[in-house]
Amino acid sequence: MKIGLEIHFQVKGRKLFCECTAEESRNILGTFTRRLTIVSGEKADRDAAALQESMKGKDFQYIKTDNSCLVEMDEEPPHIPGRETVETAIITSLILGCKIVDNIHFMRKIVIDGSNTSGFQRTGIIGLNGNFRANSKSVRIASVTLEEEACKKLKEEDKKIEYSLDRLGIPLIEISTEPDITSPEEAREIAESIGLAVRQSKMIRREASSIRQDLNISIRGGKRVEIKGVQSLSQIEKVLTKEIERQESLIEISEILAKRNVPGRISLQDLTDSNYFKESDIISKGRSSGKRVFVFTLPGLSGVLKSGKYRLGMEIADRLRTAGIGGLIHSDELPNYGIELGEKEEVFRKLGCGREDAFGIILLEGNKIEECIEIIQNRIEEALHGVPAETRGATDNGTRYLRPLSGSSRMYPETDIPLIPIREEYMKEVGKKVPTSVRQKIDHLVMLGIPRQEAMNALWKEYDEVLEHFVISYGNPKVCAKFLSVVFSSERPDLLKAEKLIERYSRGNIPPESLEQLYEGGEFVSGDSRITLKDDGTLSYSLRTDDKVQVEDIGLDFKFKDRGMLNLEETIDRVVEENITTIKERGESSFKLLMGQVMKEVRGRFEGKEISELLKRKIAEVLNNSGK
Amino acid sequence: MNYTFHTVTDVLESGDQVEVRWKDTTFYGMFISRDENVTVIKLQNGYNLSLDNSSISRINLLSKWNPKNIPLGGKRGKGKKIFLLGTGGTIASYVDYETGAVKPLKTAEEMLFAQPDLAEIANVEAEVFLSILSEDMKKSDWIKIARKVYDKINEGIGVVVTHGTDTLSFTSSALSFLIENPKAPVVFTASQRSPDRPSSDAYFNLLGAAKVAQSDIGEVCVVMHSSTSDDQLDVHSGVRVRKMHTSRRDAFKSINSGRLGSVDRKLEIKWDHYTKINKEDTRLYDNVSEKVGLLYFYPGLSKDLFRDFAERNDGLIIAGTGLGHISGSFISDIKEYTARGKIIGMTSQCFYGSVNLNVYTTGRNLLEAGVIPLSDMLPEVAYTKLSFLLGNFDPERARELLTTNLRGEISGRRTE
Repeated sequence: MKIGLEIHFQVKGRKLFCECTAEESRNILGTFTRRLTIVSGEKADRDAAALQESMKGKDFQYIKTDNSCLVEMDEEPPHIPGRETVETAIITSLILGCKIVDNIHFMRKIVIDGSNTSGFQRTGIIGLNGNFRANSKSVRIASVTLEEEACKKLKEEDKKIEYSLDRLGIPLIEISTEPDITSPEEAREIAESIGLAVRQSKMIRREASSIRQDLNISIRGGKRVEIKGVQSLSQIEKVLTKEIERQESLIEISEILAKRNVPGRISLQDLTDSNYFKESDIISKGRSSGKRVFVFTLPGLSGVLKSGKYRLGMEIADRLRTAGIGGLIHSDELPNYGIELGEKEEVFRKLGCGREDAFGIILLEGNKIEECIEIIQNRIEEALHGVPAETRGATDNGTRYLRPLSGSSRMYPETDIPLIPIREEYMKEVGKKVPTSVRQKIDHLVMLGIPRQEAMNALWKEYDEVLEHFVISYGNPKVCAKFLSVVFSSERPDLLKAEKLIERYSRGNIPPESLEQLYEGGEFVSGDSRITLKDDGTLSYSLRTDDKVQVEDIGLDFKFKDRGMLNLEETIDRVVEENITTIKERGESSFKLLMGQVMKEVRGRFEGKEISELLKRKIAEVLNNSGK
Repeated sequence: MNYTFHTVTDVLESGDQVEVRWKDTTFYGMFISRDENVTVIKLQNGYNLSLDNSSISRINLLSKWNPKNIPLGGKRGKGKKIFLLGTGGTIASYVDYETGAVKPLKTAEEMLFAQPDLAEIANVEAEVFLSILSEDMKKSDWIKIARKVYDKINEGIGVVVTHGTDTLSFTSSALSFLIENPKAPVVFTASQRSPDRPSSDAYFNLLGAAKVAQSDIGEVCVVMHSSTSDDQLDVHSGVRVRKMHTSRRDAFKSINSGRLGSVDRKLEIKWDHYTKINKEDTRLYDNVSEKVGLLYFYPGLSKDLFRDFAERNDGLIIAGTGLGHISGSFISDIKEYTARGKIIGMTSQCFYGSVNLNVYTTGRNLLEAGVIPLSDMLPEVAYTKLSFLLGNFDPERARELLTTNLRGEISGRRTE
């Protein structure tokens, strides 16, 4: 089994090719309508011809929003990408061990479903040939690309699709792994680890919809299937497990069909004007709406259409659905739909079916039956070879057919954006901004006394720096961790406001003093409401998320351990002595490192505030003496 | 095979399969190009990589490029015949996705291949006549285009001229004057998004232009998008149109007069007001004066520059401020030049509205100095008109005709 991931992250800040903000907006400013045309030099290419055909007569309606401009409307050339956005993509590539390209070369990837007003998606490779280690598993990273998000689809009708420009142009980092993953659990683990690692740039949008995954999977004996639009990490494992079951059953079906007379000739009868299926509501309804009732043989398919885990009937129905033909009924699901066993057997005899044959019933406009039979024949033909190459969409309980797997993308250079050279000196600067690895960060937080799970949580939600500040300022690592995890996981508006404040703090927009005011006396005040962290007199803390209700016991009491013979000042002096060179080199910024070391030894025995103040003073003394 | 750097482009052609050693990585892909700094390789997944030459240690040729021959098919198109004249820009192009190159198409067959819908409505004869950028168009090119167009309309064949958008209205107005009484439609069109893009406006614009070229319009016109949507085209008079936006599809607007008509999504034409083809003979004037200039006045314009400009030209169109003014300090110079027989016409930088030299003292002084107010004529149109007049008539007649409405370029009545 081979599984590869394509993980997409939206980047904060501005849109990729204009100055619009990358925050979503629903404020509608107007609409316009376009069509798309593709002319390819490869006349013989059936793909291109099919694309062109698929667009004929289709209108795309776009809703303008106040976070879009002429660039999203395809009425103005793209602007040079924002420096911060490019830098985020470079940092992401470095986190994943990729080599950075010499020059960023944006391409136009043809996309003609209307989701890009231009008819193409601009995309450029930033990093290549990386390697990422997640727990025990190492996965190769094929590439990291920077591209523009597509429009959000609002509505689809037969000849018209409606899109919003809202999302179009938000920068998207796409990480593609090689197919090195060998199980659904591993896929989830790796997606999770990559997600957490990439988040450490603090430039990834935090909205739930801002991350999504595509999966590539093939199993022994089958072709590659691409699964689009897996929205959450937890869905990855489920979707893959279901997909593997589907693929395995298709391979079993192919082994069964190999022993049967498949493909056989389909024979067709029009039963519209007969007395068949009078008891079936579905068929009666179709008849009275003017549709014709066709029955046809499905030679050699008895028992594989729907029986046990076999679902070839659904595979065929999915193909018909994408051609706009619904409502296939087949003999494996009968009796049902008001069709009795007796009638089923009568149809068998009427069509001259053998023991291994099945039959289908379909309601259609008369002129569509040829297309319908052709689609069915093609899918049966493919069933002989196991798993066909397909693009499928993730659903709540598995995957659903979308379209044939497209060949290599149609791409050509984006001439409106010059090459962006990545100079060596610049790379040296960017290299310094690469965040410490997740493992190191967690170890650091654990060393400060924060439980591992809470440390992990803080990294996911990006409040790790705030948490560290809290622990250093107020001590009580477990209490602080719990307190912040409530603030950051809350969906209550007043608490969200608190989150905004803390976020501003973490970006350096408000001074730490204001934060301390917020937290004074174990009380977090935000507007009219307050989150109170109270010592109830038994050294057990509880969290009160407003005045009236919701008192949550946050569990473990916080008690100082027996200090024994430990002397705080002596310990600090020793740590300072051991790190004297580091202090002289790094100055005040050595505090963080030393604090970790001191905490390791004295944690739980002294107040965090007491420790940090003493340590700061000692560091200052060293620096004063060395004349720095 | 190994090649040292200085021989790379001697040996490799765009399309060759190569193996490239970059830093400590090996890529397989297609060689696209190489200049003094960068080598471009197209990877199998379609992406181009632009690698610094200095970071490449080796390029191996794996196999030579084997270009596919594109069968174009022999469609000729059905419907009334039109003549498609390409004068530059990309009248039709397609992308060769294998190499990513955008290739221009040059014959009628190629045109029909790239514009399959065109064959559904018209029997197309095509010629790529000039291949220059819009901004490089010269006055002599107007004559060349006019002669070509005249030959075709004399046979009763409607002509579609494709043109770069930047100076399109200069050429459309020049042809309006150079061809009197066209006995078949002369229709200009262009695109603001090049046709290699699926969203290009070229397809709809060209279809609409072809339809107008099959109609009974007897004046030079321009067919372009009405709005940002692909649902309607405007038909503008060749002497009333102006590009009013750098990049939008609906950049072309009729100024100081309504559009002549519109074309809807189903390619049906709805006329607002237009001149029908009449029985008079078509006449071609095939001269323009090179000694006519267009000057945009601005505060601080130096006298030397103005004099130099006036000395070099027989005719001078000024795009003045507001109602048609330039600084009073130029009045004595103007008086001197008009006395020497030079024609100086006044238009407005406002584009919208008419020049009026009676309202302010400066205006009255300019009138007295011999400046000719040009009503609501666009500066560019006044420029092509005077170039046409001084090329084909004596100065006295030219002066007279400059303020006479010849092709709809002047009107006494405005409603907007």
